[in-house]
Amino acid sequence: MSSMSAESASVGKLEQVTPARPQDVAVRLDAITKRFGDVVALSDFSLKVYRGEFMTLLGPSGCGKTTLLNLVAGFLSPDGGEILIDGAVVTEVPTFQREIGIVFQNYALFPHMTVADNVAYGLRARGIARDEIGRRIAESLAIMKLTGLEDRKPRQLSGGQQQRVALARALVIRPRVLLLDEPFSALDKHLRASMQVEVKEIQRKLGVTTIFVTHDQSEALSLSDRVAVIFEGRIRQLDAPHQIYRRPADRSIASFIGEGSVLRARLDRIDDRAATVMVGSSRIIVPAQPLTGLTSGAPVDLFVRPEQLRIATDHGVFRGRVVATSFQGDHVDVYVDAPDAAAARVQVRVPFLERVPSVGDAVAIAIDDCEATAFPHQE
Amino acid sequence: MARPLSHRIIGWGGALTVTAILAFLVLPAFVVAVAAFNDDALLSFPPQQLSLRWLVNAMSYGDFQTGLRNSIVVTFAASSIALIVGSTFSFVLDRYQFRAKRVLESLLLAPLVVPHFTAGLGFLFLAAQVGASRGYGVVIACHVVLVLPFVLRSVYISLRNLDRHLELAAASLGAPPSRVLVTVTLPLLLPGLCTGWLFAAILSFNEFSASLFVTAQRTQTLPVAMYNYVREYADPTMAALSVLFIVVTAALLTIANTWLGLGRVLNVEHVR
Amino acid sequence: METRHRPFFALFITPAVLSAVVFAASMIAVLQFSMREQIPGSLSVGGLTLDNFTAMLHPIYGRVFLDALWICALTAVVSLILGYPLAYALVHTCNLVLKSAILIITVTPLFLGEVVRTYSWIVVLGSNGFINLLLLKLKLIAEPLQILFTLTGVVIALVHVTLPVVTVMLAAAIAHIDVDYEKAAASLGAGPVRVFLTVTLPLSGPGIVASLSTAFAWTFSAFATPQLVGGGRVNMISNLVYQLGFSNFNFPFAASLSVAGLALTFTSLALLRIALRPLERIGSS
Repeated sequence: MSSMSAESASVGKLEQVTPARPQDVAVRLDAITKRFGDVVALSDFSLKVYRGEFMTLLGPSGCGKTTLLNLVAGFLSPDGGEILIDGAVVTEVPTFQREIGIVFQNYALFPHMTVADNVAYGLRARGIARDEIGRRIAESLAIMKLTGLEDRKPRQLSGGQQQRVALARALVIRPRVLLLDEPFSALDKHLRASMQVEVKEIQRKLGVTTIFVTHDQSEALSLSDRVAVIFEGRIRQLDAPHQIYRRPADRSIASFIGEGSVLRARLDRIDDRAATVMVGSSRIIVPAQPLTGLTSGAPVDLFVRPEQLRIATDHGVFRGRVVATSFQGDHVDVYVDAPDAAAARVQVRVPFLERVPSVGDAVAIAIDDCEATAFPHQE
Repeated sequence: MARPLSHRIIGWGGALTVTAILAFLVLPAFVVAVAAFNDDALLSFPPQQLSLRWLVNAMSYGDFQTGLRNSIVVTFAASSIALIVGSTFSFVLDRYQFRAKRVLESLLLAPLVVPHFTAGLGFLFLAAQVGASRGYGVVIACHVVLVLPFVLRSVYISLRNLDRHLELAAASLGAPPSRVLVTVTLPLLLPGLCTGWLFAAILSFNEFSASLFVTAQRTQTLPVAMYNYVREYADPTMAALSVLFIVVTAALLTIANTWLGLGRVLNVEHVR
Repeated sequence: METRHRPFFALFITPAVLSAVVFAASMIAVLQFSMREQIPGSLSVGGLTLDNFTAMLHPIYGRVFLDALWICALTAVVSLILGYPLAYALVHTCNLVLKSAILIITVTPLFLGEVVRTYSWIVVLGSNGFINLLLLKLKLIAEPLQILFTLTGVVIALVHVTLPVVTVMLAAAIAHIDVDYEKAAASLGAGPVRVFLTVTLPLSGPGIVASLSTAFAWTFSAFATPQLVGGGRVNMISNLVYQLGFSNFNFPFAASLSVAGLALTFTSLALLRIALRPLERIGSS
C-alpha cells in the first residue's frame, strides 16, 4: 500500500542517522537488584552500553537512574546481579580500582587545590611521572579551553569553567567509562546549550563510552546515541532519540517526552507492523505494537505533537475554539478547546511569521503528518 | 521616619536594661583589675596608689609556676588525645552503621551531664582500684573524658558539612581510601579540628572541680594552685593573676571572633 | 554512600572504645564505692554495705538536697530573666561592632575558669569589697552588708556563671525564629511589644526549656563558687562530697552522696521537662 511504503520510506530515512553499532559491550548491567530498606529501587535490571556510545538514562526523580550511576561507579553495591566493565566483573571491585571518570552535578572540585592540582589528582594517584603529568594537564586544559587558569582556585572560576575543569579532571585519566550525573543542571540556559555541544564534541573526538543521567528530556534527545527511558526502576524504552520522540512505546513515555495532545480516534485496520486509525475522515498510520489485541472499530487515543497540527484555513479534521496563546519566540503555542476531538486542550504549534489566531476565535485544525502514535483508549 | 514615643521609650528602656546586665557581667573583671594594681593590700576606692607588685608576686610565686607547668602539660596532652579520639569517632559515627553505635556515642557524651566533682571522684577511685599513682596519667585521662564531648561535637559538625562528593570524586579518580583521607578529607577538616582542639584546650586549662579531686601536690594544675592560694591568703595577688587570665582570654576570643566569626560558631547568627 | 568495605573501622573505633570504657569504669567505681564500708583515713574500702545510703536519710542531708535544688532553681530562673533581654539584643543588634562587643562580653566569663570568676566575686561582695565600699561611700548604708557567705551571694555568683550559657542558648533559639514571622505580625498591625509577646516569646519556647535545663544542671555541678563564696555556710552537694572525702576521708559516703545527687538531678530535669512540655510544643514547628 502506498501508505505503508511511505511509512517505511520515512523510517528508512531516519534510520541512517544511527551508524552501524559494533557489538563491543563496554558496560554491562546484569539482572541488578537494589533495595533501600523496604523500597526496591531496581529489580532484575539489565542494560548493555556499547563502546564509544553516548547512553542517556532518562527519567523522573526517584526512578533509579542515579542509583544505576552510583552502582556503575561503585559508590553503591547491588543486592543482586553483576556489573561488568570491559568484560570484567567489577561488582566487588572498589571504586578507586574501576577506572571510571565521573562528573557530579555540583562538580565536586577540590576547593583547597588549584585547577592544575585538581586535574592532576587522578594522575598522581596512579603514580604517573611528573613530566608526563605536566604534559597531560596542558593537553587536557587546551582541549577544554582552560589554558591560563592553572593556578586559580575553583571559587575563582565561573560555573562554566568549573564544569570544564571537572570534565578535564575526569577525562585526563583516560577512563573506561565516563559518568555524567546531571552535570548541566547548575548552568543557565545559554551556557547549558553551548556546554552540551562542547561535551558532545569532545566525547565524539575521544570516543569515550559515556553514561549520562538526566531528567531533562530535551537534553537527552539532543545529546544521546541511545536513550533508556526509566520509570520506577524499569526500562520502558531503549532506543535512539528520534525513535523515542516519534514512537514512544507507551503513553507515559509519550507524555514525558516533549509535548503533545491526545485526540479521540478509531482503529481502522491493524496488522503485524502498522495500524491505521481514523480521526474524522483523516487516516493516520501508527505503530501496531501498542494496539495489539484491539479490533477494527475500537476507540483509541491518538497522540500528536504540536508541530504535527496546523490551524487550517479550509476545513480541518476537527473544529474548536482558541482558549490561550503562548509566545515562545520562534513559534507560538496555541491552545484549543475541541470537545468533539479531545478531552483536554489541544496544543498547536504556529511557526514564526504565520498568522496567529486570537483568543476566542473558532478554528479548524488539520493533522499535517500521516504518522503518529496511538494507544488503547483510556478515560 | 519618626517612631512613636512609646516605641522609643521601649527602645531606650531595653537598651538601659541590656547595659545594666552587661555591667553586671563586667563588674567582677573591672573590680579585680582595680584591686590588682592597687598598691594597698586592702581594697579601696579610688585606689590611693598604683603599683605592679601584686602582678610581680603572682608571676614569681612558686606554686603558680609549678601549677602553670602542670596545666600546660595536662592541657596539651588531654586536648591532643581528645582530638584524636573525637575525630576518629566522628568519622566512624558519620560514615558507618554498627550495633553499639548509639551506646558508644551516649557514653562518650555522658560527661556533659555528670558533674565534674563526681567525675573527679570517680577517677580518684579508679586510680586507687588499679593501683595507679596520682600522677599525670590520671589527670590527663580525666580531662580527656571531660573535654571529649565538645571536641566530638565540633569535629562531627565539620565532618557533616564536608561535601561527600569530594571524597567520591577522589575515589573515582583512583585514590584508595587512605589517600582520600590524607589529600582531601583532612585538609578540608582542618579548621574544624583546630577549633575543636582550641575549645578543648581552653576548657582543660580552666578545669577545676575534677582536678581538685584527682591531682596530688606535685601534679597540681594552675586553677587548683589558685584555689589553695585564695583559701590561705587575702592579698590581691590572685587579683593580678585573674587580670592576666581575663586579658588573655578576651584577646583570644576577639581574635577568634574576627577570624572565625564567633557568632556563627555559637550558632547565634540570624538564619538567612 | 554505603559501601561494603569499611576502611579504618577497627583503627578508628579503638580510641573511642577505650575512652568509653575508662569513663564507664570511673562511674562504676563511684557506684561501687558507695556500697562499700569506709576504712577511715584511706582510699581502700571494706565489704559491701548499704550504710552509706541509709546514713543519708538523716534530716541534715535532706536539708542539703533541698537547699541545692532551691539554689539551682533560683539560679536558672534569674539567669533566664536576665539572659533573655541580652539574647534578644545580641540577635537583633544591627551594628556589627556592638554585636561583637556584646558577644565577647557575654562569652568571656565562660572561658575564665571557676576559680578566677569566684575569686572576683569575693572581691566584689566582701565586707570591704566593691559593693560595700560603694554603698558606704554613697552613705546608703551605715555598716557593711553581709553578702558573702550567704545564699544571696552564692546565687549572684552562680547567676554570673550560668548567664553566658543561657544567653547563648537563647540567642541561638531566637536567631532561628524566621524573621518573616515577626514581619508578618508587624504587617498585620502588631506593635513591637505585641509581636514579642505573641510571636518571638512563644517561638523561643524550646530554647527557654533547653537553657533552663542546662542552667539547672550546670549549677548543680558548681563547686568552687559555693565553696568559696559560701565559705562553708552555704553547702551544695558538691561541697559536701569534697568535705567528706578530703576532710573526713569518708570516701564511700562521698560516693553515695554523689550517686544520690546524680539521681536527684536527673529526676528534677525529667520533671522539669515534663512540666515545660507545653512551652516546648508551642515553639517547635
